[in-house]
Amino acid sequence: MSTEGLIVFFLVAVTLVGFALVFSSFIPPTSKNLFKAETYECGIETTGITWIQFNVGYYLFAILFLIFDVETVFLYPWATVMKELGIVAFVEILIFLIILGLGLLYAWKKQALKWE
Amino acid sequence: MNLQTFLLMRHEIILMIIILVMLAAEIFSDDKKNTYNLSIISIILFAIHTIIGYLPGEQGTLFGKMYINSELTVQMKNILNIGVLIVLLQASQWLRKPENEGKTTEFSLLIYSTLLGMYFMISSGNFLMLFIGLETATIPVATLAAYDKYRNQSSEAGIKLLLSSALSSGILLFGLSMIYAVAGTFYFEQISSNLATMSHTPALLALGMIFFIAGMAFKISLVPFHLWTADVYEGAPVPVTSYLSVVSKGASVFIFTIVLYTVFKSMLVLWTDAVIGIAVATMIIGNLFALRQKNMKRFLAFSSIAQAGFILLGTVAGSQFGMSTVLYFVLIYIFSNLAAFGVVSIISYSTGKESMNDYKGLYNTNPKLSLIMMLALFSLAGIPPVAGFFGKFFLFMASAEQGYYYFVLIAVLNTIISLYYYLLPVKAMFIDTNETPIEPLKSELLPKIALVLCVVGLLVIGFASPVFEYLKEISFGI
Repeated sequence: MSTEGLIVFFLVAVTLVGFALVFSSFIPPTSKNLFKAETYECGIETTGITWIQFNVGYYLFAILFLIFDVETVFLYPWATVMKELGIVAFVEILIFLIILGLGLLYAWKKQALKWE
Repeated sequence: MNLQTFLLMRHEIILMIIILVMLAAEIFSDDKKNTYNLSIISIILFAIHTIIGYLPGEQGTLFGKMYINSELTVQMKNILNIGVLIVLLQASQWLRKPENEGKTTEFSLLIYSTLLGMYFMISSGNFLMLFIGLETATIPVATLAAYDKYRNQSSEAGIKLLLSSALSSGILLFGLSMIYAVAGTFYFEQISSNLATMSHTPALLALGMIFFIAGMAFKISLVPFHLWTADVYEGAPVPVTSYLSVVSKGASVFIFTIVLYTVFKSMLVLWTDAVIGIAVATMIIGNLFALRQKNMKRFLAFSSIAQAGFILLGTVAGSQFGMSTVLYFVLIYIFSNLAAFGVVSIISYSTGKESMNDYKGLYNTNPKLSLIMMLALFSLAGIPPVAGFFGKFFLFMASAEQGYYYFVLIAVLNTIISLYYYLLPVKAMFIDTNETPIEPLKSELLPKIALVLCVVGLLVIGFASPVFEYLKEISFGI
């Protein structure tokens, strides 16, 4: 067991990170400017507090988007080699699509797609 | 690959089919009253699945040894199945409450999903498979913990579970990356054969192993990674708490033991010290905190922390006997803890009382419930002739056989401490008097079946030596 190596590794890691943090706070030119705190490039200024509750619908839509996202990720490599793999792979991808489809149907049934 | 080899994955495939069938049934059933029938159907399907699991089948590996199916993993899955079946039976009464309308089927769906993850975790022959299984097993549990979404405590439990398991997964992954850096592979077999050729253990690998142990310790809620446990157990609905404390914990202990015995077998000297340290701390701190709990759910939470420390006695042994005692103890622990949680849940649903003081004089009004609770607590404490005694005794034996006498001595001392707090509810139920005792309760058929199953298990398994002999036969040591 070379515990020395471990200790050196730990010390080097700590000093390196600590050095970088301390050093970078001295080096750069700092300017105190109100415009720095504004939204970058685009977007409108917020009114009031931004820590408010927002519609959970956004979140559900993001989750549902994920279904199609994953679907594409798996469908694309399958499509490129579909000829070689033949009918078995076709059935397998069909099962996969049915499982994903059930997820979407479930969201539909539970009225996650309703926007009010 | 043909259909024959797929039969090796029969546990996973059957459970997957059950999940899909239940999901489709939930989607296409219009009537709201049907949902209760659906949950009954799902329990029946799962019972059939449990029985099928015991049928003999072939062994082998799949997906280039990413998936291992041996008699040991099959029996581990069967043990978990029993636990899940009892949890489902207990939950059926709670699911009929009006607040759960419209989300009854989801409960069993989520439980099955986590169980599927545990199956893959136990059967994994590769660290990536293990990690994916672990995540599949963890994420739905967070949803389950937040099941009473309008109760703040329950949401808090869900968030806490999610955050702490995310942290532990991060730690685990970091450890795995170090192991990969040294061994150059994720396959269990190749890692252990690569390690066997090395003359000394690289420091980076030892660090990776420690991170792995820490990550798993979070899941098993071992000290000092136990801080999420009590809050989550208290906040989550009772069936979820019992599921967390028994099935989740059992699955993590199983894979933890397997990995230590296979991948890190050449580093035995290193990890036994670490695991003994964790086990001693877990037993002592779990016990000391359990001493002063007044809420029954928190009490059982800390008692389950202490019990996890005892399980490590078998893991440390590193022998065939040691692994079989781990399996045997988890099997008994399922029955004893679920019996205790079953009684707590029945009282909690009907009256909403969860404090230990409310249990005073329970024997006068509900003699059967108090007797079952007594048996369960005796089993947890390890008093003969209940099964828990045999489980603990074998754990001690396995550890003593390898010469860890001081460790066993500490464990025995802890058992004595635990006797005190396990007998507190017994004293409250049988000796103390109460002006306003809990009125006589009538529970439904399914929770009754669950309790009967637990009691039969508690009384029979300790004396059924073929069970232990069989578990020993299929186990392996270093």
